[in-house]
Amino acid sequence: MTKSNSKSKIFELLLYPLPLLAFILIWYFATQGSQERQFIFSSPEKVLEAFLRLVQSGELLQNCKVTILEALSGFLLGTTSGAIIGLSLWYSQLVAKIAKPYITALATVPIFALAPIVISWFGIDIYSKIALAFLSTVTVAIVQSYQGAMAVEPRFLRLMHVLGASRGQIFRLVVVPSSLIWVLNAMKLNIGLALLGAFIGEFISAEQGLGFMIVKASGLYDMATVFVGVIALIVIALLLTSLVEQLEKHLMKWKVQ
Amino acid sequence: MSSEVKPLLTIDGLCFDFSSQAQAIEKPGNQILNQVSLTVRKGEIVCILGASGCGKTTLLNLIAGLLTATKGVIELNSQKPKKRLGYIFQSDALFPWRTVKDNLLLAADIDRSLDKKALEQSMLLYLSIFHLNEQILTKYPIQLSGGMRQRVSIIQSLMFDPELLLLDEPFSALDYYTKLKLESEFSQFVKERGTAAILVTHDIEEAVAIGNRALIMNAGKLQKEFLIRSEAAVMERGTRDFAEKYREIWSELKSVVGEIQ
Repeated sequence: MTKSNSKSKIFELLLYPLPLLAFILIWYFATQGSQERQFIFSSPEKVLEAFLRLVQSGELLQNCKVTILEALSGFLLGTTSGAIIGLSLWYSQLVAKIAKPYITALATVPIFALAPIVISWFGIDIYSKIALAFLSTVTVAIVQSYQGAMAVEPRFLRLMHVLGASRGQIFRLVVVPSSLIWVLNAMKLNIGLALLGAFIGEFISAEQGLGFMIVKASGLYDMATVFVGVIALIVIALLLTSLVEQLEKHLMKWKVQ
Repeated sequence: MSSEVKPLLTIDGLCFDFSSQAQAIEKPGNQILNQVSLTVRKGEIVCILGASGCGKTTLLNLIAGLLTATKGVIELNSQKPKKRLGYIFQSDALFPWRTVKDNLLLAADIDRSLDKKALEQSMLLYLSIFHLNEQILTKYPIQLSGGMRQRVSIIQSLMFDPELLLLDEPFSALDYYTKLKLESEFSQFVKERGTAAILVTHDIEEAVAIGNRALIMNAGKLQKEFLIRSEAAVMERGTRDFAEKYREIWSELKSVVGEIQ
C-alpha cells in the first residue's frame, strides 16, 4: 500500500512540470527561425540569455530585493492593521455601519487612480510603493476579518455568555481565533495585491524594482528582459504564497488532523 | 421526594415576548412564554416535552440569562441565578481550535480566580465518570466521535460545579446505543451529585427513562405535569411500568399535537 502510494506520489511530482515544459517547447518551436516573431514574442533561449546576464550584473537580484521589500512591507502593514480594524469593528455595530461606505469606497477605487497622488505625497522612492501596497491590501484585510468576526458560530457566543465571559474575553477567546481562517484568506489574496500595488508604483515612477526594470526594457523593445521580470514576479508571488500556506498549516493544525 | 424540601429553582409567572428584546441572541421568532411556573428540586431531572417552537428552548435561555423575561420571577436558591449554570446544547459548542483539555479548562480562562490545579483534578474525575480516556485530552474536537464530543460538552458544563444543568436535546444527535449509555451515565451523575437538571426533549422514551417528572409544553404554556418516579434509578425500557408511563404521556402529547394541527 505504502509502496504504491509513494509510487503514485513520484508520478504526480513528475506530472507537475509537464504543462510548463509543453509551453516552453511550443514557444521554442513557434519562434524558431523567425526574427520577426522572436522580436515580438522573444524565445526561451533569449530569455535564458537575458536571465543569465541580469543575474551576473546583479541587476535582477537588486530589483527583486527592492520589489520584495516594498510589497512585503506594504503587505504586513496592510494586512495587520486591516485585520485589527476589521476584527475590532465587531465591538460596535454602529461604528461598523458608519465605516462600511468608506471601506467600500476605498476598496472600489482602482489603485492605479490613487498612485499619482500617493507618489506625489511620498516621493518616488520605496515609501510611495509601500504606501500603495498598503492601500491595496488594507481594505481586503478589513472586509475579510470583519466578515470572519461576524460569522462566529452563535453557539460559541451562547456558551461564553452562559459561562459569564466579558465582551473582551469573548473577543479574545472566540472572535479572534475563529476569524483566523478569514484573516489567512485575506493574506492569500493580499500577496498578489501587494505585489500589484508595489508594481504600479514602480511602473509610474521609480528608479529600481522589477516594475521599473520591465518598463525600461519594454521601452527598448527588449522582450526577453520583460519576460525575465514577469517570471521573477511570478516566482516571488509563489514563494510568498507558500510562506502563507506554511503559516496556515501551523495555525490551522486542528483542521488538518 | 418530600415537598417540604426547599426547591432549588423556582419559576413563577414567567412571560416572554421576543419583540421586547433589544439584543436578542436568538433570532426573533413568534415564540412567547405565557405564565410559566415551575419548581425543580435537588437531585431531580425534569423533562420538558413539546412540539418544535413551543418555547422549550426559550425557557432554557431565560433561565440561563441569555434572554430577559418580560414578566415573572426566576430564582435559584431564592436568588437571581448567577451566570454559572451548566448549559448543554443540542450540538456541542466545543471550540475546534482548542484541544479537548483546553476546551475543558475554558472556565479557568474566563474566571482567573479559579484554581487551575483543582479544575484539572475534577476534569480527570469527570473523564472517568463519563468513561473517557485521558488520551483524548490532547486531541482536537474534530478527531472525536459525536458521542465523545457530547460527553466532553457535558464535562465542560460541569467544570464550574453548577447547581443546575440545562440540557437542550443533548442526546438527540447520537446513535441509539450511545444515547442509552450517556443517558444512564448522566442521570446517575445528577442523582449522586445532588445537582438538578432541566432536560428539553422531543423524545418521550428519554423522558420516561431518566426523568423524575415530565412537563408538557404547548404554545408557550406548561400544559400538564406527569410524575414519573421519585427514585433515582434509570427506568428500564420494555417493562410494564415504562410502557404505562409512556402511553400516558404519549396520549397527552398526541392531543396537544393534534390541537396544533
